[in-house]
Amino acid sequence: MEKIVINPVTRIEGHAKITIHLNPDGRVSRTHFHVTQVRGFEKFTEGRPYYEMPAITARICGICPISHLLASVKACDEIMAVRVPPTAAKLRELLHCGQFIQSHALSFFHLSAPDLLLGMDSDPARRNVLGLLDKYPDIARDGIALRKFGQCVIQRLAKERVHPSWTVPGGVNAPLEPGAREEMLKELPGAKAIARRTLALFKSVVDEFQEEIENFGTDPTMYAGLVDHGGRLQLYDGRIRFMDSEGTVLSEVDTPASYADYIGEASLPDSYLKAPYYKPAGYAGGVYRVGPLARLNVADSCGTPEADHEFGEYHQRFGRVVQSSFQYHYARLIEALYAIEKAEMLLSDPSILGKHVRAKAGVNALEGVGIAEAPRGILIHHYRVDEKGAIQWANLIIATGHNNLAMNRSIEQVSRHFVDGSRLKEGMLNRVSAVVRAYDPCLSCSTHALGQTALRIQLIAADGTVTDELRT
Amino acid sequence: MNSDTGMKPKIAIFKFASCDGCQLSLLELEDSLLDLVNAVEIAYFPEASRRMLKGPYDIGLVEGSITTHHDAERIQRVRRESKTLVTIGACATAGGIQALRNWKDVGEFVRFVYAKPDFISTLKMSTPVAEHVPVDFELRGCPINKLHLVELIGAMLAGRKPNIPTYSVCMECKRRGNVCLAVSASLPCLGPVTQAGCGAICPAYHRACYGCFGPMENPNPTALAGRFEAQGHADRDIMRAFRMFNAWSWQFRQVSEERERR
Repeated sequence: MEKIVINPVTRIEGHAKITIHLNPDGRVSRTHFHVTQVRGFEKFTEGRPYYEMPAITARICGICPISHLLASVKACDEIMAVRVPPTAAKLRELLHCGQFIQSHALSFFHLSAPDLLLGMDSDPARRNVLGLLDKYPDIARDGIALRKFGQCVIQRLAKERVHPSWTVPGGVNAPLEPGAREEMLKELPGAKAIARRTLALFKSVVDEFQEEIENFGTDPTMYAGLVDHGGRLQLYDGRIRFMDSEGTVLSEVDTPASYADYIGEASLPDSYLKAPYYKPAGYAGGVYRVGPLARLNVADSCGTPEADHEFGEYHQRFGRVVQSSFQYHYARLIEALYAIEKAEMLLSDPSILGKHVRAKAGVNALEGVGIAEAPRGILIHHYRVDEKGAIQWANLIIATGHNNLAMNRSIEQVSRHFVDGSRLKEGMLNRVSAVVRAYDPCLSCSTHALGQTALRIQLIAADGTVTDELRT
Repeated sequence: MNSDTGMKPKIAIFKFASCDGCQLSLLELEDSLLDLVNAVEIAYFPEASRRMLKGPYDIGLVEGSITTHHDAERIQRVRRESKTLVTIGACATAGGIQALRNWKDVGEFVRFVYAKPDFISTLKMSTPVAEHVPVDFELRGCPINKLHLVELIGAMLAGRKPNIPTYSVCMECKRRGNVCLAVSASLPCLGPVTQAGCGAICPAYHRACYGCFGPMENPNPTALAGRFEAQGHADRDIMRAFRMFNAWSWQFRQVSEERERR
């Protein structure tokens, strides 16, 4: 009999809106996830020289500009048909570690910890990072410090935290200074200690969320993520591995250019976002998830000692293939630890100070595809250029887009379980928002074509009237 | 004012079409964030909290450009609720990178990206906030400099004029000891007409300025375009140089359109 709108959903990056339709008896009949604006990157970049693409596409997102920069420069590397100098590849990966650390810290501490530590049903006026600061000042400070460490890695390498111009087609534009390396190595143990503490904290509270674990998007799906030839977790460069819900590896994409053989993009009649699916399985059966949960499902190991230890415990507790989207949080924390360890490995390698960091060339190929893991999942930039290097066509497949179908299903599942339209409580709707936060969607990214989204929950009666609206 | 909040000034952060990078610079303040929280009341910041205090707000920070009918209505409400309205970043002050669509057919964009474009309700143009409502202060940059934000809020709390540079990037280049790329390498550098604020990072790495901070006070982009032409750059390239993140600022727009017509 009613429709619930959550608009905007708060504590996510960007804005979005959820509509929950109710039956006459107050039970949930269906849900919708809305997006409503146009920015239009794929079209307005037509005619721009390919080497401007990193700077332009970084502006898609202020939270993960580094991922866009890296996917973009990798596509440009292909257009130039160059091999990036090994030091430059390591520096890019190090930069990417900084980005994962800061983004995962933001997602966990600033956006989701208020739900997890203060409680899903706690006072909404205090259920935020400031409330966290009041009640658990040490944890909130840990969050600020961990994010700061990641941002400092980015700043030391790239000189700017948001939209830096340091990564360029062919490599990076300046080598790492020895002093900056020393500073990062000095700060690293503190960051590692925070990541360890936070994992211990999460593990001590995770069992209190049994009902959420069982209802936060548990429908089996496929999973996709980057791995190296040894099946280890990769963030900067690797092969896309697709795995089914049982844990069987279905395929690995050998070359970036062949991604289109594996990923199809469906347009849904009732949604603004396009929905990528695993082509060989067809649209109906090809729903997959990306991001931390998926990456730790498809990888055989992380490849760093402490993260591997946590990886083992995580799978022992929740199975080889972890299905509940609630565990995005757990996986995200393991990845934060991995990124810190990986950064340490890269910084400890003497060749990181190498001076040859940029390969120069003109246009040697008319097409380029760059694939990297963004904090939220696989990110693909695909460009076609003319002989002068002017962009003729561009396609961007964004991490949050891959999760579109699965996220919609999760919203529906959570709504059905927690929302009772006959006696609506704030905590019910907060759980609907919380499942969205578990995916950590970046709506600035997913709406790169559409721009702003605003998440709000609307309660819509069977006769179509809006009877309640929650601005979270 | 709420009894539990004392008399702290209320700040609200509003988002329109943008990447979120500018409002996140509030979180970038890190340790100073705690000081800020003690000094002001964050009354509306959906990115961080669902707590939303009612207006009016002492300071309304607006990120993002106006791109939908709904935006155009909402910005009027935001203006009414904000005693002082400050736009932050290139999207809010100049329409942002998405203003590049202002020279193209937006219907074509929608058809390219969406199978069912009937869902999309968009304006033809991406426009700055100041084209819709009066703005009290514009904070430039793509993204903004977080220290400018601290200075701005501090100045407003103290009731003085914020001390934010209005001179060009050239001054920062000189201070840094950069060799001039426009003179030494004949690169089409926007530094001479772009407002300082970034610290001249790009020229320090041998990359011509591409104007993240938008036009400085009283720039002369027409003369600069003439200089680019004398260096051998084609009209099309000159047009493109002025069409980046601040393309729709009238100073840059004028010169890019003039070059497009040639």
